[in-house]
Amino acid sequence: MEETMWRLDNPILGIGAIIVMFLVFYIVSYISNRKSSSVADLYVAGATVGPITNGLAMASTYMSLATFLGITALILELQVPFIMLWIQLILSIPLITIIYGTSLRRMGAFSPTHFIRERYGVKASIIAALFMILVSIMYALGQMIGIALAFEMAFGVPYLPGLIVGGLIIVGYVTIGGMAGASNNAAIQMVIIALMFIIPLGAIMRAMGGDGWFFPPLLYADMVPAMMDAMPNFFDYQFSPKWYFSLLGLTLGSLGLPHLAMRIYTASNLKSARKAMVWFAFIIGLVFSATYAMGFVGVYATQTQGLTISSADADKLTLILNLVYNPEWVTALVIAGAVAAGLSTLSGNLLAIGALLSQDIITTLKPSIPSKTRVKLGYAAVFAGGIISIILAINPPAFLVVSILWAFGLAGVTNAPLIIVGVWWKEANKYGAMAAALVGGILYIIVSPFVFPGIVLTGHGVTDGMGLSGAMLAIPVSFVLLIVVSYITNRIPKLQSTLTTAEDHKLIERIHGWTNVHPKRYNSTVGAAITVVVFSAVAIWSLFPWNL
Amino acid sequence: MKAYRLEVRFTVLLAVLLLAAGNIALFFSIFPVEGNLFGFPIMYIIPILSGWFGVLILTVVANNIGNKIDTEIEKANEEEEERVEKQEKEEGA
Repeated sequence: MEETMWRLDNPILGIGAIIVMFLVFYIVSYISNRKSSSVADLYVAGATVGPITNGLAMASTYMSLATFLGITALILELQVPFIMLWIQLILSIPLITIIYGTSLRRMGAFSPTHFIRERYGVKASIIAALFMILVSIMYALGQMIGIALAFEMAFGVPYLPGLIVGGLIIVGYVTIGGMAGASNNAAIQMVIIALMFIIPLGAIMRAMGGDGWFFPPLLYADMVPAMMDAMPNFFDYQFSPKWYFSLLGLTLGSLGLPHLAMRIYTASNLKSARKAMVWFAFIIGLVFSATYAMGFVGVYATQTQGLTISSADADKLTLILNLVYNPEWVTALVIAGAVAAGLSTLSGNLLAIGALLSQDIITTLKPSIPSKTRVKLGYAAVFAGGIISIILAINPPAFLVVSILWAFGLAGVTNAPLIIVGVWWKEANKYGAMAAALVGGILYIIVSPFVFPGIVLTGHGVTDGMGLSGAMLAIPVSFVLLIVVSYITNRIPKLQSTLTTAEDHKLIERIHGWTNVHPKRYNSTVGAAITVVVFSAVAIWSLFPWNL
Repeated sequence: MKAYRLEVRFTVLLAVLLLAAGNIALFFSIFPVEGNLFGFPIMYIIPILSGWFGVLILTVVANNIGNKIDTEIEKANEEEEERVEKQEKEEGA
């Protein structure tokens, strides 16, 4: 059977929509960037962003091409379990804010790694920073694949030229813009993404005869009976409770994502950061719900309307539905919206790489570097990170979302335990942190199918590839190592002199808002013991058969 | 220690409630239910609604209580400073 080539018949529409969008973004970046004169301006916009802008920017950074294109592909191919997988991802910013975001904002941290350096020392922070660069590159990789697909459809060119042209335009934009441009643009991008996703979805539903087209995120119940007739197992959960339990690893992973946490540090104050969290939950809930509806409508179209989409084109589902049911100019706008979604997330990813390399590694090793050189290094790192992700995207995995969720798992293993335990438990020390990040990180990489395809926990391609199974083993191992190694090394007299226990205690009290040190605060051995027991049980459970 | 206990309890409770609100599918995978709500299967629509409105409500609660805890900690700091000052004066006298 001949495969359909999905692309705009009139590429000028797509090119025009993308050019207009980029012009707006470049202008906003240029105006914002004139204000960027220091490292703080570049990475956290001088910590002056208001709650609505910040909430929209958080949502925009988070709502990447994985939502716009990636998850709809998984819903099309594997149905409801992947809607359930996506739902819990809304917890990222709310959990970051209440568990450690406000504490790190109070500390004045540039990045999560900045906190790790203050809390555990230089060596641990460099290990964490290296893993975080890998996380950010894998995350950026998924976005680059989506950008290439969008450009492929817009320009009617093959994947590789789409990747190179789209990738370079975006890397150039982020390198010029910095975080101030990114924050202002991200808020604009969120509005564009929401409009260009939800309104065309309504039009698609209307064209299919759906009654709830005026509010697509939730009003498609009238299409359910026909779906049940055509595909009775669409709503089946398919997998065991263990698979659903493993999704908690993604939740923890989102707590370790450097580009996401950095959004909290851009808030003008703690109250503003908390308000931004509420805006984030509202906006991301709206767009996520629309995404599930888009996935449902995609399956509905293939099951009841005779639409055929090959597995290779699954990532293009959102764009294909628009191409089939909406006028071409609408598809052009949706492609521009998809590019905006990739752009805002790539901004966050690449700026995180810039901050990690220039601030957390080079400046840590050579603190005498002048401020201007540091800013230049930051720009160079942002550009280099972008180029690496373009190169990696030349041979993409089957689903673009795979590399992104794998990155979540790695962040959950190498970063989240260090921050969470470091903020809430005084006993955590550098030996525990290094053991946790190194052993946990290496273990996670070993059991993922990309390095040693024979060493996996489930044998279920998507579950192993997305890191669900690996995270269920490695995250608990990382937490247990951090607690146990810290507890033991704190009691070895020879090592005590190498630790900065008094300073660590002061830091923890200070970031929680206390002006004095109380020995009983943030020092619970019982809490640590419960964590060790529970996480050990989870790690052992992950080794038992998954029966998927 | 009152403000500290409030901070710890609030953080643990809110984290657990948020995890539950975002992972209703885990509960349904263990305890499946039949039936429809608003025209959708219950096991489909409840996780979606909870993952949006449930989480949204909890963020509003977290916003209000988080600000309140900040105030409590500031108050406890001031009380502690006053106590230390008073103690130093008494020892000086």
